[in-house]
Amino acid sequence: MAQTELDTSWTAGCRRKESFFFLPVDAEHKATELRLFSLAPPHMRAFHLTWISLFSCFFSTFAIPPLLPIIRDDLNLTDTDIGNAGIASFAGAIFSRLAMGPACDLIGPRLASATISLLVAPIVFSTALASSAGAFILLRFLIGLTIANFVSNQFWMSSMFSGNVVGLANGIAAGWANVGTGATQMLMPLIYSLITRLGVASFTAWRVAFIVPAVFQAMTALLVLAYGQDLPDGNYNQVIRNSINKPKGSLSQVLFHGLKNYRGWILGLTYGYCFGVELTVDNIIAQYFYDRFDLKIQIAGAVAASFGLANFVSRPIGGVISDTTAKRFGMRGRLWSLWVVQTVAGLLCFLLGRVNSLYASIIVMCGFSCFVQAASGLTFGVVPFVSKRALGVISGMTGSGGTVGAVVTQLLFFSGSTFSKETGISLMGLMMIVCTLPITLIYFPQWGGMFYGPSMDSDFMEGAEYYNLME
Amino acid sequence: MASRLLIASLLAFAFCLLAESCYGTVLFSSLQRTLVVTASPKDGQVLRAGEDKITVTWGMNQSFPVGTDEAYKKVKVQLCYAPISQKDRGWRKTKDDLSKDKTCQFDIVARAYDSNQPSFDWTIERDVPTATYFVRAYAYNSDGQQVAFGQSTDGQKKTNLFDIQGISGRHASLDIAAGCFSAFSVLSLFGFFLVEKRKAKVSQKS
Repeated sequence: MAQTELDTSWTAGCRRKESFFFLPVDAEHKATELRLFSLAPPHMRAFHLTWISLFSCFFSTFAIPPLLPIIRDDLNLTDTDIGNAGIASFAGAIFSRLAMGPACDLIGPRLASATISLLVAPIVFSTALASSAGAFILLRFLIGLTIANFVSNQFWMSSMFSGNVVGLANGIAAGWANVGTGATQMLMPLIYSLITRLGVASFTAWRVAFIVPAVFQAMTALLVLAYGQDLPDGNYNQVIRNSINKPKGSLSQVLFHGLKNYRGWILGLTYGYCFGVELTVDNIIAQYFYDRFDLKIQIAGAVAASFGLANFVSRPIGGVISDTTAKRFGMRGRLWSLWVVQTVAGLLCFLLGRVNSLYASIIVMCGFSCFVQAASGLTFGVVPFVSKRALGVISGMTGSGGTVGAVVTQLLFFSGSTFSKETGISLMGLMMIVCTLPITLIYFPQWGGMFYGPSMDSDFMEGAEYYNLME
Repeated sequence: MASRLLIASLLAFAFCLLAESCYGTVLFSSLQRTLVVTASPKDGQVLRAGEDKITVTWGMNQSFPVGTDEAYKKVKVQLCYAPISQKDRGWRKTKDDLSKDKTCQFDIVARAYDSNQPSFDWTIERDVPTATYFVRAYAYNSDGQQVAFGQSTDGQKKTNLFDIQGISGRHASLDIAAGCFSAFSVLSLFGFFLVEKRKAKVSQKS
């Protein structure tokens, strides 16, 4: 009975519209190939739009840390204020990422991501108006909300690309977007220097510099609205009535279904200790090099930038490793490679806090950045397989876990003066290793886990069909 | 061959670093307070950056034996943070190693040493932040190392401190630009929503 229903709706869809796609597609019209240098609608266009708009969100969120040496004097901030603002910058994102999941399921990633970008862009511009510590903390909180766009980014890629390339697509889209955290650490000090060279006082120059991230964010959001498309067959409001992609059930059902899946919780925890650690390091690393090794603001910014810039290749490589090990070992390969890479990242983080010279620190930091970012890419190689019906909710839970991890590590190790920054970094590395262990507990009945094989006969059904019928 | 060259250059580099660190360290606690420094602001006075002036004078403390200042070749007068402005602000920390000390971050004037009690009028620069300050002068020898100092406050840095009110950096034009941009951003979002709704209605009818 179910089979016939599926057939008629699929063929009905075909008759209604002659679909032509530039890329090879599967039964759901998701692309089975990723062609990076193409702008072909809808798949590759969506890819480029989403990574650029998330890039602009990261650019705005992390535009403040490299300019902190100037801002802290202008606004008369204390170390406590700066620590609180750092925590605030992620605290808001915890909830906005959780909300973004269901929002994508309901109104589509295009509208959801553009809405938050356009509503927060004025706040980025308003950084120019800050004149107290309280205003500063509030600004960082509100600007941090845009990191929710990560969830719409991954959701959109999982809707557009098929299982064989989804790890790679998710990894590259997120990786290239994360380069924004590095680019901003390098560019904002340079923009600031340029403005001061025009004769503007330093306390005004940093304010003027924030026009750049604000305008960039607004522009990318408008591009997403104008040229983006939620699904291969059209936008949510056009397609949702005829397709098999329709979310079955109401919002609360979808939410409940996602929240009761234990794998979402485990992935949220482990993501908190790869991506969360990456966010924390983005917040503290420029000041760490500026204060500990007495570097100039532009040089400290450049060193800090190299941490974020590595995302260009290392996160995509995480996605590639996930897909490659999946070809040979299936889900077990994905889980094992995630565990190994994240544990090595934890070891390197521990080491970073122990080395004492500038050059050794830079080398260890580069190694650490590659592994921690690859681990993030590997996590999202597993996420699309956890739940199809509640994909948005699971993406939201995992993404949200990332920001929870960032808040917790900042609170524990980098606020106040309990630990020196070096000790804090080492302890963070140890916590990473411990919090990666729960990956061993993840088990899929149809694909297996790290230590056990699948308990269902995998010849009986292909993974994708299992999803549609059993989920 | 290449690896030997690499090792040799690394060793040479390491030696240079070592030599630099052994040679350059001057500790504040090793300096004698032989200079008398006065600054025009009274205790607790509030000055405005970019507008008000500070007059500083510096000279040898006559109670020291004649000839103490023979080694002094240069004097640098600096604006320094008082302890209350250093609290909970690690980037302004006082350290005994003068190469790592961050107490004094603004230069007022640097001159060749002159035993005739010179003075200098300094207009407070616009990048001086809001904080509590005092004035300190360092005397340098011909090697460019600090050998003596003097300051306008006492040894515990509690008396004769003055406040400077920094500029806020805000401008009316920035405020207006922010308002316009916000309006544009929000309006364009709602504009798109309206267009989408109309398209949906049209496709429903057809």
